Amino acid sequence: MARGWMGVCGLVLAFAALCGGAHAAAPPQRIVSLNLCGDQLAWMLAGRGRIAALSHLARSAELSYVAPQVADVPIVQGAAEEILPLAPDLVLAGRYTAKPTVAFLRAKGVPILELSIPQDFAGIRDQVRRVARALGEEPRGEALIAAMDAALAEPAQRHDGPRPVGVAWQAGGFTAGAGTLTDAVLDAAGLDNLATRSGLKGHGYLTLEAMVAGRPDVLIADAALPTQPSLRQALLQHPALARPGALGRRVTVPAPLLACGTPATAEAVRLLRAALAEGTRP
Amino acid sequence: MSARLLPGALALLVLALFVGSLSVGPSAVGLGTALTDLLAGADTTAAVIVAEIRLPRALLGVGVGATLGLAGAALQGLLRNPLAEPGVVGVSPFAALGAVIAFYSGLSGTFALALPLGGILGALLAVALLYALAGRGGGMLTLVLAGMALSSLAGALTSLALSLSPNPFALAEIVFWLLGSLADRSLTHVWLAVPFMAVGWALLLTAGRHLDALTLGELTARSLGVDLGRLRLRIVLGTALAVGAAVAVSGTIGFVGLIVPHLVRPLVGWQPGRLLLPSALGGAALTLAADIAVRLPGGAELKLGVVTALIGAPFFLALVLRTRGSAA
Repeated sequence: MARGWMGVCGLVLAFAALCGGAHAAAPPQRIVSLNLCGDQLAWMLAGRGRIAALSHLARSAELSYVAPQVADVPIVQGAAEEILPLAPDLVLAGRYTAKPTVAFLRAKGVPILELSIPQDFAGIRDQVRRVARALGEEPRGEALIAAMDAALAEPAQRHDGPRPVGVAWQAGGFTAGAGTLTDAVLDAAGLDNLATRSGLKGHGYLTLEAMVAGRPDVLIADAALPTQPSLRQALLQHPALARPGALGRRVTVPAPLLACGTPATAEAVRLLRAALAEGTRP
Repeated sequence: MSARLLPGALALLVLALFVGSLSVGPSAVGLGTALTDLLAGADTTAAVIVAEIRLPRALLGVGVGATLGLAGAALQGLLRNPLAEPGVVGVSPFAALGAVIAFYSGLSGTFALALPLGGILGALLAVALLYALAGRGGGMLTLVLAGMALSSLAGALTSLALSLSPNPFALAEIVFWLLGSLADRSLTHVWLAVPFMAVGWALLLTAGRHLDALTLGELTARSLGVDLGRLRLRIVLGTALAVGAAVAVSGTIGFVGLIVPHLVRPLVGWQPGRLLLPSALGGAALTLAADIAVRLPGGAELKLGVVTALIGAPFFLALVLRTRGSAA
């Protein structure tokens, strides 16, 4: 199988020039991902057989969409000395993955694909196409995009009057405003983002007063709240929010759907639309 | 100003700042609208914001500030030492430690009173340790050094307790416990803390006459009929109850108990007994004012202890310089 041949190639990686010609044409067979989003895209596009290792976050049920499936895939913490012996022929790194590690790998001739951070569905399409091209899986990438677009195209619930208001308000008042993936998800679901409306750009904090004054119809509640007490979580239970009518409804959106822009993010839109269809003010 | 008029004037100031505290916030909700809605029984957004977010904050500003001012004045009287203050001498940091253990262990989730009780136990331990270390005849230096050691010990143990919590946010919340804040507290916190604080105030406010006698020295005080053991117990318990409950809901707000008695002292004529009530009112006023300042627009909200330390630390240094001659 091609894997054995690539192993030989990996052994002589120091003489990258010898193998370089073959690399350009053949799709990578020993993929290492150092980034949570790269983990998920590599899994969706290439599958188990061609993955040498994923980042340790891939197994985190709180963050990773593919966590249940990757329990037996080798993981790396992200240090150069554990990655190099794996002889990867493609490393997926995030834009903010440890720069010295990535520079070292690049200097050793390891091909690196640097991922962007999609902030909307157009960004997700671009990202999937780039990774699919690098993995030689263009048809699979197009299929994933088509499935995502089909989910997004399902008719949104009709509402008379102004659009309902939604917000993703996490422990401590942390939220996502304009130019974030969460904002794009709320918009696609037919909701006005309270944080964006309050003038927040990027990620930041929304005060309790702004939450009460905004009377959101939908609150995206984190599915993976730790059960141990903290002051930040106590804020989510403040009496001013617990009163009837202060919030329309809490919708649980699993954090992995919003942590990374992947085709699975469309699932978050579907969950929000379903909640809107049930009626926002019970 | 006459010493008789002082409490009344300070009470008016507290009232004005209380109204100010209800009027200030990140959302553009006017106090007038909210009061009209509240009186009409209308459950509007403005009413909820003022009644459930700003009112607890203002009430705790009064309660916590009064506690710190009063405890500062009482400790200074008992230890006959102008540098005594719940924050400086380690009482508030130990109260924070007690509250941290009660809260992050989950104990206060099942038994709500565990939070103030934890703070009170921590404060009690600190006052007892402090008195053993620097209470009798100890100079100013002994008190400050003992307080410093207790404060850093409490800070380290608080950090340890937070590190041991499995909650990923816990360690970042050390900022709240070390610098204090009244942001987004609820009426539940008010009900948890105020009864204990009130008992503590009663114990401290009624100790005035005996503290006055103590300024003449322990022997003279005893000859005047002061039971020193009971006086000590009264101040230790009163401080622990009031400061412990206050810190449990607000974190450690420093220097209020140091600044206020010193500002008030020249106005009441150097008698510790007369200092108590004005110090409580002054503490409430200073804390309310600082809590209004942290909410003024311009960037993220500061922690309350940042503002009180910015005012209090230079004050403390000036006091150390001024008393250096007499300390030797």
